Amino acid sequence: MPKVKIPRKSTLVDMTAMCDVSFLLLTFFILTAKFKPQAVVAVDVPFARTTKAVDNAIVITVNKDGKAFISLKEKQVRFAMLDKLGEITGDHYPAVKNMTPQQKEFFSLTETWGTPIEDIQRVTSMTGAQFKEYQEKQMPGIPCDSANNQLGDWVTAARYATGGDIQIGIKGDKNSNVEYVKNIIKRLTDKDIHRFILITSLASGNPDEAAAAQSEADKPK
Amino acid sequence: MAQMETSDGGGGKHKGGVRSKKMSTRVDLTPMVDLAFLLISFFMLTTTMNKPKAMQLNMPKKTNIEEEKQDVGECQVLNVLLDTLDQVWYYEGLQVAGLQKTTFAGDGGIRKEILKKLKVVPDACPLTRKWTDLNKDGQKQDNEYAPAKRDAIVLIKMLGGARYKNMVDILDEMDITGCKVYAIQDPDPIEIEAIANGGTVKEFAKETATK
Repeated sequence: MPKVKIPRKSTLVDMTAMCDVSFLLLTFFILTAKFKPQAVVAVDVPFARTTKAVDNAIVITVNKDGKAFISLKEKQVRFAMLDKLGEITGDHYPAVKNMTPQQKEFFSLTETWGTPIEDIQRVTSMTGAQFKEYQEKQMPGIPCDSANNQLGDWVTAARYATGGDIQIGIKGDKNSNVEYVKNIIKRLTDKDIHRFILITSLASGNPDEAAAAQSEADKPK
Repeated sequence: MAQMETSDGGGGKHKGGVRSKKMSTRVDLTPMVDLAFLLISFFMLTTTMNKPKAMQLNMPKKTNIEEEKQDVGECQVLNVLLDTLDQVWYYEGLQVAGLQKTTFAGDGGIRKEILKKLKVVPDACPLTRKWTDLNKDGQKQDNEYAPAKRDAIVLIKMLGGARYKNMVDILDEMDITGCKVYAIQDPDPIEIEAIANGGTVKEFAKETATK
């Protein structure tokens, strides 16, 4: 009987198609990825285990020295906020009302602001280099004491500008004094804002171990 | 297709002349695919990691309306105090007494105390309320509602100078233990003094507080 011949087939697979697909995906991810905007205010957020994702929020950043900054993601919202701020605080601070369209445009180009309202016209007429220096070194933060609650006005204006159903995030530094954050929460509850989200990052490693080590160190020997 | 046809189709073309060596133009694309997928996985992982995360915090409204205020039974309350040295102090009830020190350690720390309190309170601390109405003879009579179960209430008090990290940690514990009712308050002067004294409450401080 003749043997049945099994035809030999090459085991090489054509990788071209796979290569095409993978590079397509790669380009897609690279193009859709957004760069993390350069953080004007350096803040080391605390870890937490119970977290949920934030989609859209007015973020109030509190740095180590207790300075408060407000960040809004979208340019139109920042523009609308400025108009509202002019309406709300127009009587106390004519500065916002009197801003020129160029100054308003300048304002809406920057995401994070920490400028007292009375300074806003001076800052928005700066040149690029001047402003950069101001941003990095001298931004004084938005005043938020009970007598001069500008932060409350800013947040109220931002809420109007976004339609009201936006979350209010507080981004604090994990080593900063808790009083700063408490103060900001108090100033916002003065303005009838009661729901907050605290921006955290997902716990990495084992926080229990760190805490256990801490308690071990506290024990008297 | 990426590869070129290299085999002779017609035949008879190469009579005579110099025969060039036939080389395959196929390139092995496997390493390239490897690399591409490696990059894809890298980008996917890094982009998802950067999403901001947050925890919810609701503060109470300031209210002067009596009906909106909640009765707090003394047996419901667990006070948790955070000091400047990352330590946690706690005591039960509304009178500052028996302060104890603990930590944020997962198994034996404050979590254990909160869980204990959450377990005990619903049975040990029912709410009994009375209401008055007129009976058939037009006399006032007292009636009692059926006792209602109550949940534990944790009062979180942070001393000035405590780290913000600890505030987030304790709110995290609230979520982990499933504690629904908690409030952030300012600490009393007596509590601050008691912590400064290492947990003991001076008698005269208590007396002035009750007056």
